[in-house]
Amino acid sequence: MQPPEREASTLDRQAERLSAKLAESTTRRSFLGRLSAAALAVAGGSAVAAAVKPDEADAFHFCGHIWTTGSCPSPYPPLARIDRKGFPLHPQSGRPIDNLGRIVDSAGHALDGNGNRLRGPDGEVLAPAPRTRICEDWTAEVKGLKDLRVQGAWFRCCGGQIRKLVDCCSRSRRRINGDASLVGYCWGGRRVYCVMYYDTGLPC
Amino acid sequence: MLETFTPAVCGGRKRQIVAQALFAAAAIAAATALGLGLGFVGSRVGAREAVLAAAALALVAAAREAGLVRVPLPQARRQVPDRWRFELPLPVWATGYGAGLGAGFFTFQPVSTFWVACAGALALARPLPAALCFSLYGAGRAAMVVWPRRPAEDPTAAVERLTRRRGALLRANAVALVACAVLLALAPAAGGATLVAGSALDPTVSGGVIAFETKTGDVVVRPSGEPDLVFPDAAQPALSGQYLAYVDAGGIRVLRWRDRADVARIDSPGVSRPALDWPNLAFVSVGPDSKRLLVRNLETGTTRYPANVAPGADLGRPSLRNGRLAWHVVTRNRSRIFVRTLASNTRRLFARTEIGRLSNPSLSGRRLIWVDARSGVTYLRQGRLDSKSRRVLARIRGRAASYWTTSLAPGAAYMTRWTIASGAAAVYKVST
Repeated sequence: MQPPEREASTLDRQAERLSAKLAESTTRRSFLGRLSAAALAVAGGSAVAAAVKPDEADAFHFCGHIWTTGSCPSPYPPLARIDRKGFPLHPQSGRPIDNLGRIVDSAGHALDGNGNRLRGPDGEVLAPAPRTRICEDWTAEVKGLKDLRVQGAWFRCCGGQIRKLVDCCSRSRRRINGDASLVGYCWGGRRVYCVMYYDTGLPC
Repeated sequence: MLETFTPAVCGGRKRQIVAQALFAAAAIAAATALGLGLGFVGSRVGAREAVLAAAALALVAAAREAGLVRVPLPQARRQVPDRWRFELPLPVWATGYGAGLGAGFFTFQPVSTFWVACAGALALARPLPAALCFSLYGAGRAAMVVWPRRPAEDPTAAVERLTRRRGALLRANAVALVACAVLLALAPAAGGATLVAGSALDPTVSGGVIAFETKTGDVVVRPSGEPDLVFPDAAQPALSGQYLAYVDAGGIRVLRWRDRADVARIDSPGVSRPALDWPNLAFVSVGPDSKRLLVRNLETGTTRYPANVAPGADLGRPSLRNGRLAWHVVTRNRSRIFVRTLASNTRRLFARTEIGRLSNPSLSGRRLIWVDARSGVTYLRQGRLDSKSRRVLARIRGRAASYWTTSLAPGAAYMTRWTIASGAAAVYKVST
């Protein structure tokens, strides 16, 4: 289970602004961050589990995400939970969902609570709806940005498992919050536009 | 004015009765015509906005009647022209007085209720019911003239008695207006739509006639003011004037719905989703390798193939009107609505999205409506083919219900609303 989401207090917001200014003026260990993320990905689950402290990460608007940038647009905002390829997952069950927020099977058909394919009012099985990537497709369409890429990531312990927090990066100097964006774990001139998360299922 | 309807003025008891009858008839007729006009105008305006505006106006009026706010009323503070009864024959001036007061705009309004009633008639968006309701206003005007009283009594005494109770009347009026505001806010039209047929889906409209499929597997054709015609074991109706197309066990059947005479058949179990704009019939044919959209001229037999998609894609129910064809294609990656002009064979991408589901477009004139389903909300949108203007006609918030098929007529859009868990469906109408 996830810890409850917290509202940002005035103090938090002030701290966020201050940290944003500080972060804007520096590159946040871009090279080391990318290197360590790549190493973690290559080394596999046990190494990741060992690298992350086994206590719960503090949360700003979802567990593991501290302060700053907001979540990417998703079927269940602000819980932009994704799978390994960046497609949306149900925030609670972790099952694949289509862009309408419905749990779907491997063929993309929406399922009811019993796992049967949903039928329309005419009794026919509903055709699959689009299921597209949260960063490159969702955020691009909602915010009108064409250069969005998934780049950096970092890890926290959430709900007893390792959560990978993923940056959706753009060359835009404004982030989804509407204020100045941070370099974060993005590279190639991109900055963090919004964030998503991927629950690895690995205990921490 | 009341004292004019006395034997002394009218020239006898019989002439007084004639004058009162003419006054009453004219007042009711004028009020009825006003309601008819307001209802007609309302049918051309968005019902949801009109209902909410009427509810807000009723609240303001209630506050005014309760003395909480001071709002001037738009009104003509003139009395009826006194000279009419000296210069004009009795039938003319009595009728003129009745028409002037029945229309409401040409006389003093001591309370704001008349204007709330006007807004309510607009919001009703149905001329005949609005006319019926407003005829009661004319009847009320007439009642003060024909109210039985003792022969020796001053005709204005009843008005004076009412004036003495003005405070109580204003309070009662305020309560009635608050109740009116609450009822308007709770009305189905305030939600953007009114029920046309329960337990039904797939509406199709042509020339004031609506047809739909019932959940029991029949097609019902409902001509205005006539009994329903039921076509058993049929689905997915499409109307075009006197012609009706629907899907049955053997394929698509086209017939004249009044005498049920067969006109054409497409015999294939793989065809469905007809759209008819006589003599053109559009339909979807599902094969092993693809889904195709066909348009067949039922008079010449020529066939066109406007769209061809992979079997996994959703090639939706097309709409065919005035030489234009609209349809949707939904894949795992995107959702698009196309419009093709049959004469020039030009295809246009009308709308697309990668994060929602655009489906079930319907054409009428140069307008197009479609269902835009997003996560947690479904919109019924309307756009114009000759401009980029778009607007939301109706919306459903939440994931429990959604819109399905649509049909567009001048002044109104029809859509299936269905409950996803149970599959229950009904046809609703919303003003455009």
